Amino acid sequence: MIKKVAFCAVLAAAPSLVLAAEDPAELSLEDLVKTDITSVSRKSQSLADVPAAAFVITAEDIRRSGAQSLPDVLRMAPGVEVAQLDNGRHAVSVRGFNGRFANKLQVLVDGRSLYHPMFAGVMWELDPIPLEDIERIEIIRGPGAVMWGVNAVNGLINIISRPTSTQAGGAVSVTAGTQGTGSVYARIGAAPADGPSWKLSAQGRHAEPSRLHDQSRDSFDRYDSGLVDFRLDNEIGGGRDLSVWANASHSSIRELWNVSPSFSPAGGVSLTSATPKQALHQENLVARYRWLTDTGIESSIQASIGHASLTVDDFARENHYIIDLDYQGRHAVGQHDLLWGVSHRGTRDDVDTNQPYVEIAGEAKTLRQTGVFIHDDWTLVPERLKLGIGGRLDRATANGTQTSLNASLLWTPTRADSAWIKLARSPRISSRGERDISLLTGVSLIPVPGQQGVNIPLINHVTNNSDLGPEKMKGVEFGYRKQLAANLGADLSAYHQRYTDLRGAALLGMYGCHPMFAGLGIAFDPASCAHFGLPAGSPVLFSQSQTANNLAGTSRGVELAVDWLVSPGWRLQLSYAWNRIDMDNNNDPIARTSIAVSEKSAPHHFGSLRSQWNIGANQQFDAWLRGSAGLDRVNLTNLTPGAMGAATYSHVPGYVTLDLRYAYRVNKDLELALVGRNLIARHRLEYISDFIPTAATEIAPSWAVTARWKF
Amino acid sequence: MGGHRALEVLITKMAMPRILVRAVRAAAAGLALAASASHGQVATEAQLKAAYLVNFLKYVEWPVQRAHLTICLFGRDSLGPSLAGYEGRQIGGRELRIRKVSSPEQLADCHELFIPDTEEARFGAVLRWVENQPILTVSDAEVFTRDGGAIALIRAEGRLQFNVNADALARAGLKPSSQMMRLARQIIGGVR
Repeated sequence: MIKKVAFCAVLAAAPSLVLAAEDPAELSLEDLVKTDITSVSRKSQSLADVPAAAFVITAEDIRRSGAQSLPDVLRMAPGVEVAQLDNGRHAVSVRGFNGRFANKLQVLVDGRSLYHPMFAGVMWELDPIPLEDIERIEIIRGPGAVMWGVNAVNGLINIISRPTSTQAGGAVSVTAGTQGTGSVYARIGAAPADGPSWKLSAQGRHAEPSRLHDQSRDSFDRYDSGLVDFRLDNEIGGGRDLSVWANASHSSIRELWNVSPSFSPAGGVSLTSATPKQALHQENLVARYRWLTDTGIESSIQASIGHASLTVDDFARENHYIIDLDYQGRHAVGQHDLLWGVSHRGTRDDVDTNQPYVEIAGEAKTLRQTGVFIHDDWTLVPERLKLGIGGRLDRATANGTQTSLNASLLWTPTRADSAWIKLARSPRISSRGERDISLLTGVSLIPVPGQQGVNIPLINHVTNNSDLGPEKMKGVEFGYRKQLAANLGADLSAYHQRYTDLRGAALLGMYGCHPMFAGLGIAFDPASCAHFGLPAGSPVLFSQSQTANNLAGTSRGVELAVDWLVSPGWRLQLSYAWNRIDMDNNNDPIARTSIAVSEKSAPHHFGSLRSQWNIGANQQFDAWLRGSAGLDRVNLTNLTPGAMGAATYSHVPGYVTLDLRYAYRVNKDLELALVGRNLIARHRLEYISDFIPTAATEIAPSWAVTARWKF
Repeated sequence: MGGHRALEVLITKMAMPRILVRAVRAAAAGLALAASASHGQVATEAQLKAAYLVNFLKYVEWPVQRAHLTICLFGRDSLGPSLAGYEGRQIGGRELRIRKVSSPEQLADCHELFIPDTEEARFGAVLRWVENQPILTVSDAEVFTRDGGAIALIRAEGRLQFNVNADALARAGLKPSSQMMRLARQIIGGVR
């Protein structure tokens, strides 16, 4: 009670701090140009009149976070769940279903989708754009398929790069830190008064291996990445402009696979470790032309061609080309703001796997996806009530025709409040990998009854299903935003999302590699065993299942963002998310495991508190406290003999950690910063890998110094 | 410092350990320092932008006099809450109105149109809507005056300043005061 009263006292006192300053309303133009801005905010972070749960990360937020990688930046947005697997790999999702191959999020850089056609997720180890070149990141949680494409089931991350007209001259930024981390960024650009402006930037990052969890030795996640990015903007006049992007990136990182089954001809399975190196390469060329017609229609056409390759030592190689064509039109007329578009994506891949653990059906395939959409923002009552309504049709290889719909209502009773409700239906089309990949997903040991110390390995094998269809989601969301005072705003959203046809797997049956299993009613299948290099007579059991759209579930939650300018030089930002996933029951034993994995692997709540403090004009001191509840992840390999088929879990404990940053501006062109990250908890674990049995690594406290120089 | 006092109250009421009390006191002192280090005229950027929008109305002459003065906000509204306090105030004997707009038909009675930098992609289209109309276009994107807008609010040397495109003003039939032109950081186009 006392606490509560005292907190209210702080709240009540806060506005007076701000109003103690001279009222800007009374200033003349002459005074205004002389007024110093010591405020920390560059612009509003909540999008006051968007009928969706939206959040904006500005370039200044990125710089002040001290983060070196994009996923670390995304941690500041409410409801975005980020977990680090190792030095380069991250699992990122919104509203649950996180994973190494999380697939319900659309991520765009200047309109180009980053989603990998093989698994419909993002390879975060490949930097899509240098952090220094980002103008802002808009994060829209919840279904957004109509406007953003059929992968935007749970949300959209829209990265917008800086226009080159603001990037004339040069810049260099160098960071060196503990644990062998370092990064270099350099940029050069020109923005002549007439004629096109351009910039060329390059970035390189490196990290030495991190420590293995619960072991006193290092893992193998030495990380290297590099990126070259070019952009040109040409203002043609009359509302016409042309932009061209060209970039190339690569990354390489090893990992320790805890267990790689090795089948000895003598008939046993021994579990050995492997340290394969994953190398990624990507090149993209994108051009966009925007023009205006005399009737007032705004049009934009964007074309891109991309090539990417993935190599995991001798285990697998993947190579693909993507062609994207996208047209969007917009016409604001009367009370309507109409948006429409057509898009087409063609992907040609070529995959090579030369071991039985991961196999793909069809070594080379061409996939196509074509979509059309229309959306209208209709102002029903000027200043007060706006209706948004839209639909989309997509036709995609192996997925047939899919419909996405949304309807929203935004009510703004005053300039300081807005409330919205949104209904949406968003499918996610199945990806090439989901349809065509067969995979050994885990190994466990079954004790032989009455024979002390004798165990039989049970290997789980999931075979592909080329008929796997789309996942479906229907959701309802509410939101309320209020500017409580000039310096205090809050944004609350709540959602209920119902998923059907989610990808899971169903048990096909079991077989053994030894004739004795036939006596237990388990088929003896020497041909299948031979496929895995196991001769007849090996005491090994296989459980065989097949990928299927056999799961359903409900996700519900609440997200909160508070932005409080305590004083003009001090800003506090709070974000918090609560989420719960309840999957429907299922009779299939394999599906039951998937259900438990989905429910247990989502932290029930997580959040952060960021403080940005300007100490006068030349110094900044920032702190970022963040935390998450714990979660449980299924053990892919379990060498403790246990009951047949029962999944076991490892706990990832909840955490609270702290980042600090102190920056000093030597002059207007040079800034030095000292950054401490993950300063609470010495051997913290954030995630345990799914699908691939990568050994978990620890996140340890680290320090780094950064110098940023503009010229 | 109200905030400082409140923190003191919080400290004593919560009967915290001494060391923590000292730490919170130090933080409170830091906060007070933060607030006082920036003594004099201090404002948040949004408040400053709002103040500029209102002030421009006093330094520009429109060809036709109307009973009201209207500031129109286009697109994603980022200044609405900061401008709310000015709504209904008298400026040169005329009442100030603030309106959101999203299509050309809604611009008829706008004196000033603010287009936030997040709408950079639509500058060309919106400038086309206001072509040859007596509407003062303002944005907080530096590129705005280059793109044909009248006034760009820009952050320079720790202050919020403005660039003017004199040609754009002339095309709109607006007369800026000499004082405004003198205070501009940069003037693009025809010198008169």
